[in-house]
Amino acid sequence: MGGRQFVAILRKDLIRELRTKEMLISMFLFVMLAMVIFHYAFSVKENVDLTYFTGGMLWVTFIFAALLGLNRSFAQEKDENCLDGLLLCPVDRVTIFFAKMAGNLIFLAIIQIVAIPVFTVFFVKHGYFGRLPSFLLVVLLADLGICALGTLLATISMNTRARDLLLPIIFLPLIVPVLIAATSATTAIFSGDSELGPLGARLVFLAMFDIVFMVAAYGTYDFAIGE
Amino acid sequence: MPEAADTAAAPSGAAPDIEVRELTKAFGRREVLRGISFDVERGGFLSIFGPNGAGKTTILRILATLTAPTSGTVGVAGYDAREEAMPVRAAIGMISHSPLLYPDLTAYENLRFYADMYGLGDRDERIAELLDRVELSHRRYDVVRTFSKGMRQRLAIARAILHRPRVLLLDEPHSGLDPRAVDILDGLLAEIRSEHTFVMVTHSIQKGLELATQVLIIDGGKAVFASAGGVDPSAFTAVYREHVQEGSVA
Repeated sequence: MGGRQFVAILRKDLIRELRTKEMLISMFLFVMLAMVIFHYAFSVKENVDLTYFTGGMLWVTFIFAALLGLNRSFAQEKDENCLDGLLLCPVDRVTIFFAKMAGNLIFLAIIQIVAIPVFTVFFVKHGYFGRLPSFLLVVLLADLGICALGTLLATISMNTRARDLLLPIIFLPLIVPVLIAATSATTAIFSGDSELGPLGARLVFLAMFDIVFMVAAYGTYDFAIGE
Repeated sequence: MPEAADTAAAPSGAAPDIEVRELTKAFGRREVLRGISFDVERGGFLSIFGPNGAGKTTILRILATLTAPTSGTVGVAGYDAREEAMPVRAAIGMISHSPLLYPDLTAYENLRFYADMYGLGDRDERIAELLDRVELSHRRYDVVRTFSKGMRQRLAIARAILHRPRVLLLDEPHSGLDPRAVDILDGLLAEIRSEHTFVMVTHSIQKGLELATQVLIIDGGKAVFASAGGVDPSAFTAVYREHVQEGSVA
C-alpha cells in the first residue's frame, strides 16, 4: 500500500470536507436532533432511569449519522468524474479503500467527540469515568466496523442509479451485528451491570467483524470500484 | 487517399507505443467493439473519428485501464494493459471533456494531490512550471469551482502531463469550450505535441486532422477506415460520409 498515496487521498478528503462542511454539518445536525427527539420521546415520567436504553439510542443515532456521511463520501468523487482521475493514477485500489475508510472514521469520530458528552449529560445517570478506556475501545472497534463495511458498500452502490436508496438497504441489515455488540457493551459500561455478561467477548466480536470486512474489502475492492 | 483497412498500422520505424489487436468489448449482450486493431508509433498522433456510440470513448477507457476488454490484447508503452495496469497508468495521461479536477480544491491542491498520487519527486517545481505554462499561476490558490470552463481545461492539461506521461489520451478535449478557450487549448497541445504519443477521439474533423499522423474511422464497433495523416479535410469528410452510415460530421 502506498503511504504517500494514502495520505494524499485522506488529505484531499479532509481539506474538501473542512472547506465545504457538507458531511459534518448534516451528520452533526442529525445527531443533535436525534438526541432532542429521544429526550422528549422517553420523558414520559420524571426521573426515569434511561441508562438501559442509552446504548441503543447512541448506536442507532451514530449508525444513521454515519450513513449520511457514507452517502456523501463517494458522491464527491462522482462530481466532474473525479473518480476516473483517481482510478487513472497508479494506485493500489486497496489504498483508496483504506484512505476513504480513514476519512469516514475521522468524520464520525469528530461527531462523536461532540455528541457523546452531550448524550452523557442528557441520558446517563451513573458515572462511567472509571470505565472510560473500555468505552473508548468499544467506540473505536464499532466505528471501524461501521466504516469498513460502509466504505465497501458505498463503493459498490456508487455506480448504481439509486445509490442513495441502495446503500441503506444493503448497509443496515449487515451492520446489525455491530449494533447488537456495541449496544450491549455500551449499556454494560454505562450501567456498570455485571449481569449483562462479559465485555471482553463483545470486544472480540467487534474486532472479528472489523477484520472480516477489512479482509473482504482487501480481496474485492478492485472489482467493487471497477466498472 | 488510402483504402479502408481493418488495421491502422503505425508508420514503420519506431516501436509502437500503443498496440491494439482484435479488441472486443461487450456490455452484457451489447457488443460495443468488434475486433479493432491499430498501432501508434512513439511520438505519433492517432485521431479516431466516428458517430456517437461507435465505441470511440470505450477504446480510450480500455487504453486507460478504466475498462477491461472482453477479448483482444492492448499494449501501452510496452506493457499489457490487462496484466500490467500499474505501469500503464503511470505511462498515460488523460484529457477528457470533464477536467477530472476536484471543484472544492484550489488549482495548487489539485495538482499537489495528483503529484503525490504519481509519486513525483520534484512536486512543487513541476507544479509551478506547469501553472506558468497554462497561464494559471495567478489563480493557483483559488478553488477550481470559481474557474471558467476554459481555465479548468487548461488546468486539466497541467494535471494530465504533470507526471510526464509517454502517452496522452484526449477524449473530445474541445467539447464545450468557447473559441478563445479552443485557441488556448490548441496552442498548448501544439506546444506539447513533440513530448508525447497521442490518441485523440473527436467529432471535429478539422481539429482531428490538424495534428494527426494517423486517422481511424470506427462505426458500429468496427474500424471502417484507416489512413496515415496529412489528409485534406474536405476529402476526408467525403470519405467519412462514405464509410459512416449514420451520425453527423462536425
